[in-house]
Amino acid sequence: MKKLIFLFAAGCITVVSCSKDDNNTTSQTNFETLKDSVIIDFVNKTAIPGYEDLLSKATTFDNVVTALNSAPTDANLTAAQTAWKNMRSTWEQCEGYLVGPVEDDNYDPNMDTWPVDYVQMDSLLASANTLEVADIEALSTLSLRGYHPIEYILWGTDGQRKAADLTTRQKKYINSLTTDLKNTCTKLRDSWIASGGNYGAKLLAAGKGTEPFTTKKSAFVAMATGLADICGEVGDSKMKEPYDAKDSSIVESPFSGNSLIDFRNNIKGAYDVYMGKFLGNNGYALHHLVAAKNLSLDNKIQQQFAAAVSSFDAVKLPYEQAIFTERVQSLQVMTNLATLKATLEGDLQSFIQTNITD
Amino acid sequence: MRIRKIYIVAALLAMPSFLVMCTKPSAFSEDEYDPRLSGGAATVFDETSKAFGNMITGLSEYDQHIHGLGDNSVDQTFVTAPATINSGLGPVFNNVSCRSCHHNDGKGSPTTGTVTSSMLMRLSIPGTDAHGGPLAVPGFGLQLQDLAIFGKTQEAKVTISYIEQIFTYPDQNIATLRKPTYTFTNTYANLPSDVMVSPRMAPPFFGLGLISLIPESTILSFADENDADGDGISGKPNYVFDAANNKMMLGRFGMKANTATILTQAASAYQQDMGITNRIFPVESAFGQTQLDGLNDDPELADTLLDAVDYYLLTLAVPARRNTTDANVLQGEKLFAQVGCTNCHKPTIQTGVDVRYPVLSNQRIHPYTDLLLHDMGDGLADGRPDFKATGKEWKTPALWGVGLFEKTNGTPFYLHDGRARTLEEAILWHSGEAEKAKQNFVALTQTDRNNLVRFLKSL
Repeated sequence: MKKLIFLFAAGCITVVSCSKDDNNTTSQTNFETLKDSVIIDFVNKTAIPGYEDLLSKATTFDNVVTALNSAPTDANLTAAQTAWKNMRSTWEQCEGYLVGPVEDDNYDPNMDTWPVDYVQMDSLLASANTLEVADIEALSTLSLRGYHPIEYILWGTDGQRKAADLTTRQKKYINSLTTDLKNTCTKLRDSWIASGGNYGAKLLAAGKGTEPFTTKKSAFVAMATGLADICGEVGDSKMKEPYDAKDSSIVESPFSGNSLIDFRNNIKGAYDVYMGKFLGNNGYALHHLVAAKNLSLDNKIQQQFAAAVSSFDAVKLPYEQAIFTERVQSLQVMTNLATLKATLEGDLQSFIQTNITD
Repeated sequence: MRIRKIYIVAALLAMPSFLVMCTKPSAFSEDEYDPRLSGGAATVFDETSKAFGNMITGLSEYDQHIHGLGDNSVDQTFVTAPATINSGLGPVFNNVSCRSCHHNDGKGSPTTGTVTSSMLMRLSIPGTDAHGGPLAVPGFGLQLQDLAIFGKTQEAKVTISYIEQIFTYPDQNIATLRKPTYTFTNTYANLPSDVMVSPRMAPPFFGLGLISLIPESTILSFADENDADGDGISGKPNYVFDAANNKMMLGRFGMKANTATILTQAASAYQQDMGITNRIFPVESAFGQTQLDGLNDDPELADTLLDAVDYYLLTLAVPARRNTTDANVLQGEKLFAQVGCTNCHKPTIQTGVDVRYPVLSNQRIHPYTDLLLHDMGDGLADGRPDFKATGKEWKTPALWGVGLFEKTNGTPFYLHDGRARTLEEAILWHSGEAEKAKQNFVALTQTDRNNLVRFLKSL
């Protein structure tokens, strides 16, 4: 019986390998075209639309905070909190492809420095500084700029902020911060498009011998590395540090209680980059490339992404509380992320090394 | 009688093993080694922007945890004291976290006084301190902190301007070199007129563990302080005071080999660059100045974190070379030796034995440095002596990873002050003891010059 199964299995393998060989020439041409499509769509359907969306969310956020500044109603405060979360959602998803200017030119710390410098914030707000955008730009530390100081002021330490509690100086300060955020997002978007730094063209030129992507392989390696890095950032750092230390003060977005949503969006962003459906924009992506040659690997990656993303749902409390009372569920997320990261760093990278040689 | 026989038999049996011990273990020939393994077993195959931040292999679970702790620590943004986390920034500082300067564990940008700047100014006045080191500038210390927390005053602002000069090759090709000048404005107190200033870019983090394991005797064997062999190249070791060990030691790190150990380097960067006091340097850099916060919170950095950062720096792998079989690269490698670069940029060194770190121990590595000081001529001179280093001398920098700067940094910058925008410019700045090698490079055909640069890019 065992022999029979073995024979049957061997037969299957032969059949599979035969059918593969038959299509070799056509699939080879397709694979070549596919490679180019993946790079093109990564630029035009993932990266640039991602930053476009971020800019549009930043503009909305700035407008809403301007409204809050002139009319400090609780409704306007809630609108500002929602706009913060919306912008945050796109930003965290964009961290699924930390490739290019965003890391080369420090856009990330410009928006997302953590922790907040409360001592300096107090002295800034107590000072005679005019708190205009130019004043914000002149500050010597980024821990007074970006998402987290705004979050602190919008929610307050206990998350129960009322519009009436906001001081005139606080409102002015965050309004300049949101304009500063919008300016940063404009620069980030521009760094990719033809009228600006045109980083997109550098990626599209991959494999033509020019830096930084002298080979096509190097472009794919960069994409895959971005996916693995964000899994590491969330699983090994953002989640693990407060978990290990059982310290809710080192959770990333403690005032808004948004940390877990941030983490989930990081991984969802990476998943969508892999699938080629970033923010709902369908295009060719690594998934198509892997599936063309190694369906089981593609399945494995998809399953591990899906498992990682859905495991967040088992954590019901804000992460600041989950590190104390939902440790098993939190650990499960980290374990899933570690598994996924290992696959992305191992299998996916070797797939690229083996199959993309130009 | 029988016993004696046994002895003889035993002696005869043992003889082969003695004989084996007599024969010297034969080294492999050059081409039996994989040329990609720049760091021996401590090499990592990563050519992405993260190539400088990989852990060496073979660490235990717990050691990996400590490495990870150090990795997270170099990322941490410090904030003004008193704070519950990452407390103690400033009051004067150069940047807020290690990685703000050491971008992607690498080099960064040659600017000053911004949140993304990777350059700082070392200061001193003529004379030496008790250990023969540079003499601190009253009110400023040995380093200019060009940022301050809100409400305090930075020591000074630094503006950089460049004068471009054209270099013409014998074949009429040209290259544009830029020479920086630094101007101090808004000084919080008067700087003495005889102040000496040395600009320094943040160096990459990786490979330090291997460098620290190179035997002192190996480094000294490269030295030729009085140029006894008459090749125009001296090579001088620096001996510096090491605060962590409280004694004079051979300098291995820093642009002028002015630091002996990774721990002292990291601890001094925390205290000088960020204003974070620690057990090695427990006194604020602004001590005695008007900006001092007056808080009794020193040392601000936990010992465990300092030690974790020390361990992180010790255990970062060296990125592997690329394109090592490319004919142009191979030609460039040959030329690199022929024009004389390898006289100082030593291609191959064997690290010493250290059983604690098997992956770093007894490795055949390719750092392309002799770790010695060389007179590099007037063009590069900073005019600021540092222990045994004169104002014209610099340590030969390691070249491993130099071909990845475009990846790790976006825009690459080379040399101690980032003035060189290309590897070609960096070569053309060489003078002094390297003048002959540079002239040989200049005399090459353009194709050969390109091949030499291609070789550097494969590192």
